[in-house]
Amino acid sequence: MTDQDRAGRAFAFEGNWREFAPIAFTNLLLTLVTLGVYIFWARTRERRYLWSRTRFIDERLEWGGTGFELFLGYVMALLFLIAPIVLVQFGAQALAIRNHVGLAGLLIFGIYILVFYLIGVAIFRALRYRLSRTFWRGIRGGSDDPGLAYGLSHLWKTAVGSLALGLLIPWSMVSLWNERWNAMSFGPFRFRSGATSGPLMGRFLLYYLVPVVAAVGMFVVVGSFASAPRTVSPGQGPGDFQAAVALTILAFYLIFFVLLGFVALFYYSAYFREVVGHLELGDLEFEFDATTADWFKLILGNFALVIVTLGIGALFLGYRNWSFFVRHLNAYGALDLDSFTQSTTRAPGQGEGLLDAFDVGAF
Amino acid sequence: MSAPSDPRVPVWHFDGQSGARRAPLLVLRDGAFFLVDEAGEEGPFDPRDLIALDRHDDAPRYGMKKRAGWQIILRAPAPDPIAEALPRTARYGGIIDRIGLWPAVIGFAAVSALVVAGVVMSPPLIARMIPRSSEAAMGRAMLGDLGGRACKGAEGQRVLDQLASRLGARPDTRVVVVDVPIPNAVTLPGGNIVVFNGLIRQAQSPDEIAGVLAHELGHVENRDVLESLVRQFGLSFVLGGLDGQVGGYTNALLSASYSRKAEARADDHAIAALHRAGITPAGIAGFFGRVGAQDYRVEGVGVVFGYFASHPLSADRQRKFTDAVGKRAYQPALNAADWARLRAICSAGQAPALGF
Repeated sequence: MTDQDRAGRAFAFEGNWREFAPIAFTNLLLTLVTLGVYIFWARTRERRYLWSRTRFIDERLEWGGTGFELFLGYVMALLFLIAPIVLVQFGAQALAIRNHVGLAGLLIFGIYILVFYLIGVAIFRALRYRLSRTFWRGIRGGSDDPGLAYGLSHLWKTAVGSLALGLLIPWSMVSLWNERWNAMSFGPFRFRSGATSGPLMGRFLLYYLVPVVAAVGMFVVVGSFASAPRTVSPGQGPGDFQAAVALTILAFYLIFFVLLGFVALFYYSAYFREVVGHLELGDLEFEFDATTADWFKLILGNFALVIVTLGIGALFLGYRNWSFFVRHLNAYGALDLDSFTQSTTRAPGQGEGLLDAFDVGAF
Repeated sequence: MSAPSDPRVPVWHFDGQSGARRAPLLVLRDGAFFLVDEAGEEGPFDPRDLIALDRHDDAPRYGMKKRAGWQIILRAPAPDPIAEALPRTARYGGIIDRIGLWPAVIGFAAVSALVVAGVVMSPPLIARMIPRSSEAAMGRAMLGDLGGRACKGAEGQRVLDQLASRLGARPDTRVVVVDVPIPNAVTLPGGNIVVFNGLIRQAQSPDEIAGVLAHELGHVENRDVLESLVRQFGLSFVLGGLDGQVGGYTNALLSASYSRKAEARADDHAIAALHRAGITPAGIAGFFGRVGAQDYRVEGVGVVFGYFASHPLSADRQRKFTDAVGKRAYQPALNAADWARLRAICSAGQAPALGF
């Protein structure tokens, strides 16, 4: 991509890692000496930097969140959700000791369902929180939906998705994406998301094809070993033959996982292009143009960075992922600035507590 | 209106109400800011309400407290009076910006060290502050009826109770045998000791049972189980902030080191109690030696009873008991008849119910 092309894009990332490094290293230092408590302020500093170096059309974004509200959200999630769940689990153990195994099982099952439901709510609320703290030209996003119904959808759509050997997983992913983005807005405009899972099915089916092909390939190769005429020469005994078979199986095992990783990238790149490509805001249409090769380079680069730096490079993963996301994001259409007024949604008072507590990502 | 002599600087301005960008002048007059353009004048704004945001294309950018979205971006270097009135850039967060990064790092490290020290030292104190009655209630809640697997042999129970009081058990101590074929015993809060029948079946003499019982009575006396519960709770709370694995490993390491110390203390207690009762420590040493090769800790039990005290076995512990055997006349822990009664505790008058 030339500079000319990039200059014409609606989104651009204009930061550099030399600016980011002092933030990353002081974040690590402060997080260590505060036994991890600083992580919420660290995350806020990182976002403030990344957002402030992200240009949309003619203005930089601004992150308006604070570390304290993230901290507060985490403490609240811990107090009101995690602590009761741990207590109930304790109760289930006590029940199991008393031989009420059925009741204990029911209780544990109930907890699982509840946690799964709450993860859905958490994903929704994290997206809402992030939009409500993202400012562009002084205007922010948000949602008036508390996400409780989305939690139910998350529960049943994920369950249905796993039926039929997981064939409905693309449908559940896409329809959940649509559902949460259709509830979001930015300024006076509502997001509209109309992605479908049909175009993804071809790539998703590779998940099923790859194991079959790998297994067939392995049998063919091992079979050709077995049927090949065996000449016993000095230095080549039956032990070598067994070793060759074992090595072949090991090689196929590795190839199998590498291939599945590729299939995952192949699928996810199409998924992201599909869901972002069908997102609209006012007269704006979004586009995401990262190909499988782009994703591969990102992931490979992330791995290399972390391994070569003995883990220190992990500090820069957030930076790399964000700049990747922004560089491949584009938008078309016009935004009527006269009607671009402040969001009327209620800004949530605290951060991504639930999400932090369950340790899942928002996007 | 502002006089031409008032310090001023051109700015970009968003008011947080519409997305329109305006280009007024920021004017400082009588200690307050005003935004002035052809349309008129807006203000006054108290300089203390301004917040320094991240720079915008290397230009300083400011927001305003309680007015999300409101911002000004300087389009030229500010004259000195304005620069002095504008807030300094926030970098790390309130308190750190005030006292500086390195003083803050040292301060936080000191506080963290105190917190860790507190969590490490305080559990014995907190455990002693919890009344024995609450601890007993907790033990009853955990114990329940043991799923109907408690052995009900009355004669065996009488023998066991007598042995416990001979070893100096507190009056509220309760020892029960459960019909589980595992050579182990555990202490629960509230002076509840659970002996698995496998221990009694595999023991070659009552002295072995007396030794194990004396060890568990040491845990009861020292309130180790309660202490370890308090410690677990405190550690997981304090280390919860660290990223998953790091916190988990630190937690496990700290807990393990304390459980080893608690085991050593309980062993000391056991040796003293055995000597007072005139029972030889050779029994428990022999028991350790016999099961020494296999792991004394049983996986399934560890999973279900995650909060029980563990008994890691080592050759050192066997040696400690062997060394404690004195040159004196010991009496057997139980006579032959009582030993037979204890061994029959689980076969008397009940069908053993096994399995979860």
